[in-house]
Amino acid sequence: MLAITRSGLAGTVFFLIALLALPALADGQWIKIFISTGCFVIAASGVAFMYSRLGMVSLGQVALMGVGGWVTLRMNHAFNLPFEINVAVAGAVTLVFGWLLALPALRMRGLYLALITLMAAGGLEVIFSTFRFPNGGPGFWGVMPSVAAPFRRPWIAQSDTAYLRYIMAAAFFGFVLIELHRRMAPGRAWAMIRRSEAAALASGVNVVYYKAWAFGLSGFLAGVAGGLLAGGLGLLDAATFRASESIMLFALSVVGGARFWLGAVIAGVLYRVMPALFSNWGINSDLTLVIFGAALLHAIMTAPDGLSGQILQAFGKVTRRA
Amino acid sequence: MIELVDLTVTFGGVTALDNVSAVFTKPVNGIIGPNGAGKTTTMNVISGFLKCSGHIRYNDEEIGRLPAYKRTRWGLRRSFQREQIADDLSILDNLKVILDVTPGGRAQKAADAEQALEATGLAPRAHTMAGELNTFERRLVDVARCLVGKPKIVMFDEPGGGLSREEAARLGDLILKVPEITGATTLVIDHDVDLISRICAETLVLDFGKRIAFGETAAVLGDPKVKAAYLGVEEVDS
Repeated sequence: MLAITRSGLAGTVFFLIALLALPALADGQWIKIFISTGCFVIAASGVAFMYSRLGMVSLGQVALMGVGGWVTLRMNHAFNLPFEINVAVAGAVTLVFGWLLALPALRMRGLYLALITLMAAGGLEVIFSTFRFPNGGPGFWGVMPSVAAPFRRPWIAQSDTAYLRYIMAAAFFGFVLIELHRRMAPGRAWAMIRRSEAAALASGVNVVYYKAWAFGLSGFLAGVAGGLLAGGLGLLDAATFRASESIMLFALSVVGGARFWLGAVIAGVLYRVMPALFSNWGINSDLTLVIFGAALLHAIMTAPDGLSGQILQAFGKVTRRA
Repeated sequence: MIELVDLTVTFGGVTALDNVSAVFTKPVNGIIGPNGAGKTTTMNVISGFLKCSGHIRYNDEEIGRLPAYKRTRWGLRRSFQREQIADDLSILDNLKVILDVTPGGRAQKAADAEQALEATGLAPRAHTMAGELNTFERRLVDVARCLVGKPKIVMFDEPGGGLSREEAARLGDLILKVPEITGATTLVIDHDVDLISRICAETLVLDFGKRIAFGETAAVLGDPKVKAAYLGVEEVDS
């Protein structure tokens, strides 16, 4: 069960190189962009594994990140607990919140989950815009005008550089968590559900239970990602968690390739790094939307495993020849 | 012993199964009938995929009220007309899905899987991904899945479909061994009368959702009503 695959080995090497190189090479602004990218990679890994392993479409992942971020900020300003506990609570609350939203849809087939998660994302967008994110103010919503109270980062990652490494390690463990699930009973049950619900039932799989498990894991990852994103700047903005962003993250997960870890990394990079690059080059970053649309068409028409599938296939050919 | 009592299924105004009753007492039994007779509906009802009125009992234990996945955990196994194995799992993992939810220790389950793989001849390829298998091998995986987890009832839905004559014969031999390997009562649905007459001791014949004959296979296949309905031979009044 603990044997490492070629893809896993490539992922570990990629992680180690990124861990050493990225904080050393990037400057202040780019460190912040990479921190944000890492958080969205974690969220994308959740939405991608649900799609690739069960064929379930969730269009509320970024909104669930908002829930995780809200809980982390609320905990940070209300209690004097370590960052890790705040993020763990955020993951757990998001998991349960996601379950409550999705449980009716998990009993049904088809696009009901996509519709319900999208509606939830729309509802959360309104709530986030109206009440905003806690910044140390009084009361339940904890909002005060203009200034924000200090945010406690993990004691091992006080600087931006260290925090980027912390985020990359969290993303790596997120992938390991998904992979461990894939290799154990839940992964086998998910594979049967993806084959067909009849096949799953004939295998003794409680379909609703295992779908809820998958959605819970994905929600947990979204919650943790939101909490980690809150730690990047110490505050969050409602505009980050619009419903359209959830659709975008799902679409980019398909473009990146939902089956592989590299797909989630590509999704995060396209989502965060590409618009920043365009801004740096003086190009309107909205142009990225046109590129994303074309990439999505390309993925749907010619690359069912997305860009990562094509890259890993090409990499496999090269290594076989060598 | 599998006892079906007054099974009735309706889809809107159509009665797919009409008060079907039968008691299967032999190790390997068959269900035959022309297209649309209600064979697969019967199997789906026993599996718990369709709601019905009536009773389904195994050795006097009522199983007709259990949800489908709990029937599998209880000991019901089935194959499908088009096999339903997961391409992105290995052969062994396709068996483990069932072992994950059935009782027993780790070593016992490993031995169980090994026995099923040996019986089907799949042991040397246990770690091959199911997506790499041909039609017959996929069918064998489907059979192997039916052997694990101490099954009590095993059902095969047209197991010989899409196979060559030799492959169908090999599969027939394997199905004959199922009660011996597992102790389960076996039900086989197939259009292939040769296969049914070779391996099934008792057979139920359905037509338009109704039971038209039940009993020892040779006697049932010789019944003029069965010949008229299923074999396309006109019933001649004596």
